[in-house]
Amino acid sequence: MSFVQVEHVMKSYGEVPVLKDISFSVEEGEFLTLLGPSGCGKSTLLRAIAGLNDIDSGKMFIGGRDITSLSPKDRQVGMVFQSYALFPNMSVFDNIAFGLKMGKMKKAEYTPLVEQMIEIIDLKGKENYYPNQLSGGQQQRVALGRSLVKRPKVLLLDEPLSALDAKIRRSLRNEIRQLQRKLNMTTIFVTHDQEEALTVSDRIIVMNNGEIEQQGTSEEIYTLPGTEFVARFIGSYNVWSRPEMEQAGFADIPSGDLFAIRPEVISIVPQAAVAAHDAGYMYTIGYMKHYAILGNVVRYHVDIGGLDASVDVLNDSGLLHLRENEAVRLAIPMEKCQPLKKLG
Amino acid sequence: MKTVAANGKRKAGGKRWHVAVIVVLLIYLFLPIVGTLLFSLAKEWQDEIFPNSYTLEWYAQLLADMRFYEAIGRTVLVSVLTVAITLTIMIPVIFVLHVYFPNGEKLLQISIMLPFAFPPVVSAIGLIKIYSSGPLAITGTVWILIAVYFVLIQPFIYQSVRNSLNTINAIDLVEAAEVLGAGKMTAFRKVVLPNILPGTLVASLLSFSMIFGEFVMSRMLVGGDYETIQMFLYNQMKTSGQSASAVVITYFLLILLLSGLVLKLGSWKPRGYKKAALQEEE
Repeated sequence: MSFVQVEHVMKSYGEVPVLKDISFSVEEGEFLTLLGPSGCGKSTLLRAIAGLNDIDSGKMFIGGRDITSLSPKDRQVGMVFQSYALFPNMSVFDNIAFGLKMGKMKKAEYTPLVEQMIEIIDLKGKENYYPNQLSGGQQQRVALGRSLVKRPKVLLLDEPLSALDAKIRRSLRNEIRQLQRKLNMTTIFVTHDQEEALTVSDRIIVMNNGEIEQQGTSEEIYTLPGTEFVARFIGSYNVWSRPEMEQAGFADIPSGDLFAIRPEVISIVPQAAVAAHDAGYMYTIGYMKHYAILGNVVRYHVDIGGLDASVDVLNDSGLLHLRENEAVRLAIPMEKCQPLKKLG
Repeated sequence: MKTVAANGKRKAGGKRWHVAVIVVLLIYLFLPIVGTLLFSLAKEWQDEIFPNSYTLEWYAQLLADMRFYEAIGRTVLVSVLTVAITLTIMIPVIFVLHVYFPNGEKLLQISIMLPFAFPPVVSAIGLIKIYSSGPLAITGTVWILIAVYFVLIQPFIYQSVRNSLNTINAIDLVEAAEVLGAGKMTAFRKVVLPNILPGTLVASLLSFSMIFGEFVMSRMLVGGDYETIQMFLYNQMKTSGQSASAVVITYFLLILLLSGLVLKLGSWKPRGYKKAALQEEE
């Protein structure tokens, strides 16, 4: 049995099902991310594991112990909220000590633990500050420390970075990941941000409409999306059906009805250049529509028989002089043409 | 250039107009008080704009009157008791509804608006009918006053408690506390209560002032059996206008003191809040 085991969890609000027979597991020390758009049920699922939402049916285990009907305080989990949820009437020290005090620990016992945690979250010297005197990032670090100091069996993170601005979000997410590795803390992380999910996770579960769409490592989720939903959600995939591709002029299309093709695997060959027909590539001719500079890559939009193809090219290849309506040749490696399961 | 000058002129004119409105309003608000003050200090005041001669006789009389102190004592007692009882009952109720039964909050909202729908005289007559006889014959005692005032101040207490709960994000705080190992009661006591008390304090003092000045209910339900400051004032008016004026002024000063306290407490924040400097490191 895995360290965390969720089995056939169902939950509905009235007639509306929000979790439809969810089962998954997390290994000890693993960083698992629940990824999906808002309303997909990921937060409900996390809160159910914390015991803050009850479920209609199913079972949940942590470390082999059935926690399904335990109250939140007995589940030995730590949780960090999007809103930080720090106690405004308590200093940084008291916020972090709260959980230990609740565990009937004496002051002499918890003081060194709290001080050590304050050092770990890099807030030394701010022990006596109140939450409203700290910046958002600092507050969220306190919330993190408050959860970790109790050494919970599982750390639950409910969109902890969403209220922070982009720069702090990136640095804090790396800090969380490092801390998680250092403490070997089993972690379940909820986010709607695919970039965040791809950078920090050992494994990702993509959820949609209360169901698990796909699970796998960041690499697998990104390069081998299994469904149209995942392909569209995870990146700026080109999602094309077989008839659309035929109309766009592709020949030798692999078997399948629906395909996801990443913008960066498509290459642009100027029409004038005589390109050899390599085996293993599909070719077609299109017209340059417009482009956008995304930073290190340039995204071209090419019209191929009425289909809009997004093509990413590294921002150093000198293609920028391509003019509007200029004819270009597109080449796609057939093996990078990822067949998808269902038409959404 | 011309238009600028015209604009400036219009602005100056507008400002004068604003000042005039405020002055008129202030006169309207303060004239009765000034009149009362003068009347309470007047020895003789017959046919002049201002009294012919002044005296502190009415105040001396008032401050020597035991009935006055007793009336204030009774009023303070009934106000403090009512506010205390209301807080003790309402804070947990509102908290439980807000956090665990959000749908029930709508019901509470409706029931709390009801007292506004009934004129005090109407509800007083109804209350007299119910509580004059039967198992709960409390008309004429202080208890019916406390019960009625409870209903009257409920809306204010409810609003302030609910606003405080919203402001501190009580639901998240309780959940965080629960996950950290606190029971529901402990979470309420350690995390919610200390954070909503400052907000509730202001509403409590407002309620206190309101009960302090309430007349209709105390006159109709209890009357002379439990003479509150308002009842005392009413009785004084029947004997002497000038001593009644002295009561009004004394009473006014008391309320002023209380309001000052409310304002001061309104800006009061728990420890640590005062250090405004936000430490930005990122």
